[in-house]
Amino acid sequence: MAVSFKPIRPLLQTGVNTASRWFSYIGLGIGVLLLLCSVQMYINIQQMLSEGSVKKEGSDFVAITKIITNETMGKPEMNIFNEQEIDELRKLPFIEALSPLLANDFRVQLSAGEVIPFSTDLFLETLDDGFIDTVPPSFTWQQGQTLVPIIMSSDFFEIYNVFAPGQGLPQLSKQTAGSVAVQITCSGNGQQQVFVGKVVAFSDRVNSVLVPKNFLVWANHTFGTKQTIEAGRVFLKTKDANNPELLRFLDSKNYKINKDRTLLGRNKIIIQGIFSGLGIFGLLVVVLALLLFSFYLQLVIARSKDSLQLLLTLGYSPLWLSKNVSKRFMPVYIVIVISALGLAQLMQWAFHHYAMYDRPELSSFVHWIVVVLSVILIILSVFSNYKLVKKLLYKLF
Amino acid sequence: MVFILYNLMQLTIQQLLPAYFENKRKETSEVWGKDIVFEKGDLVKIIAPSGSGKTSLISFLYGMRSDYNGNILYNGVNLRRSTPEDISIHRKDHISIVLQDLRLFPDQTVQENLEIKRQLNPYHPPEKIKEMATRLGIGDKLRSKCGMCSYGEQQRTAIIRSLLQPYDILLLDEPFSHLDSSNAEKAMELMLEESRLRNATIIFADLERIDYFPYTKLYHL
Repeated sequence: MAVSFKPIRPLLQTGVNTASRWFSYIGLGIGVLLLLCSVQMYINIQQMLSEGSVKKEGSDFVAITKIITNETMGKPEMNIFNEQEIDELRKLPFIEALSPLLANDFRVQLSAGEVIPFSTDLFLETLDDGFIDTVPPSFTWQQGQTLVPIIMSSDFFEIYNVFAPGQGLPQLSKQTAGSVAVQITCSGNGQQQVFVGKVVAFSDRVNSVLVPKNFLVWANHTFGTKQTIEAGRVFLKTKDANNPELLRFLDSKNYKINKDRTLLGRNKIIIQGIFSGLGIFGLLVVVLALLLFSFYLQLVIARSKDSLQLLLTLGYSPLWLSKNVSKRFMPVYIVIVISALGLAQLMQWAFHHYAMYDRPELSSFVHWIVVVLSVILIILSVFSNYKLVKKLLYKLF
Repeated sequence: MVFILYNLMQLTIQQLLPAYFENKRKETSEVWGKDIVFEKGDLVKIIAPSGSGKTSLISFLYGMRSDYNGNILYNGVNLRRSTPEDISIHRKDHISIVLQDLRLFPDQTVQENLEIKRQLNPYHPPEKIKEMATRLGIGDKLRSKCGMCSYGEQQRTAIIRSLLQPYDILLLDEPFSHLDSSNAEKAMELMLEESRLRNATIIFADLERIDYFPYTKLYHL
């Protein structure tokens, strides 16, 4: 028959110093809540950021340019990436791959023919296919082919539709734009040739007018004058565009990320710093509360010293007593931590619903890590209590 | 080390002397500084005048104090090498005691005091408590708080408490100091009966000889 703790319970003078006990309970509750909420917010930021970036196959794609300053204005050679600089970028461990955005080195004019009375000078660029988010099978060119497929930036297309009515031009849907054939006139090096351009896809990632690489290499060779390859922009493939190392490198080199996708990343560092601080503060409060509770426990044991000593004299095992005395406080810990978890859940729901308007990348429920952390906190509290009680009881023996 | 004493038979003391006693005590005492073996079933009477270390001896044997020189061996195992956990098993299953200062929970009733001990390793059913208490004349005190009972009633409670567990050795330290001879005799009778049931050793330390304890060995401390 198992020995019952029930007749022993009244021998413990737990009624002493109620204020200290309640302070430690409340402190523990607040500390745990702070800790859980900080961890949850940390996770929220991570989730928002990973969804917010343009990822393809788990990597980020960003374009970098050199910042044009008053000193470098009018000196194109200072604002382009030379081969040495591209090599330096290639060697960086946090850059998986890169592709310079090659631009046309000859004059390009675009006209929409008789359908739309529109003509403009244009630039063409090219990039390795792996860096483009939308590459249809038709995005190929062979020498002698007059049809040149084009991938256009969605942003450029939007801008066209904004200014088109003012210029007396028709606004176009993406479907229509894809069916309109435009004339591309390439000239330079004493030569001129007209090609038929067709928009085959729109890109959200690359702010440019892209043509197949072999076309531009051939055209630069045919109509251009320069021998070396120069790029004003370089596209980078990296695991995390918000990697602080990458950001520090780019800042040190005075390179700028186009369409700054790292803005959130830079804020993330600050916000995560704040929540880390808050989490550490929460942890500190938890430790303080546990300390306060240990004082209370020591007081209980000191006040119940005679009874506990007599129990040991009668043959009660110090181990059994330690387990049972500390177990007596276990429900309190469980209630406190579960209440804090419940509150954290409520706050997460409110944050998701009211502050984030139910954004799909976030969840209304706390992350499993937060639940695991709660369980760890319960175990930690119970275990630290048990160790303390055991130590005190062995002293009484 | 695990102190297993399931078949405790023998208690040996070797050159035992409280650390605070001078060596010359060995010359006058029949216990201090001697090698003695107590066999199972022995009824040992130790006559100990005040200041001769009677309570110290009982405390040493029960493992409550260790400020002594020499050895105490239970079945050949040195008590000094036992952990607190071993000693608590020892107290629960093999050695019972009636302390001079009684040691009861004053805010608990007589019944509760007895039940706290009984539940640890029940040798008797709960009804036995009432039976023993009635026999020793405190049957009507079971619901009274110990702190409200007279010393005599408390002493009888402590005696009954010592008889509710299995034991091989019963240590008695002036168990009748607050009892009249009639009540003391009844209590002795009960203890002898219970010890016979267990074939246990009684080590009875008191100031003077008591006629109703049929000792088989007598020592002067």
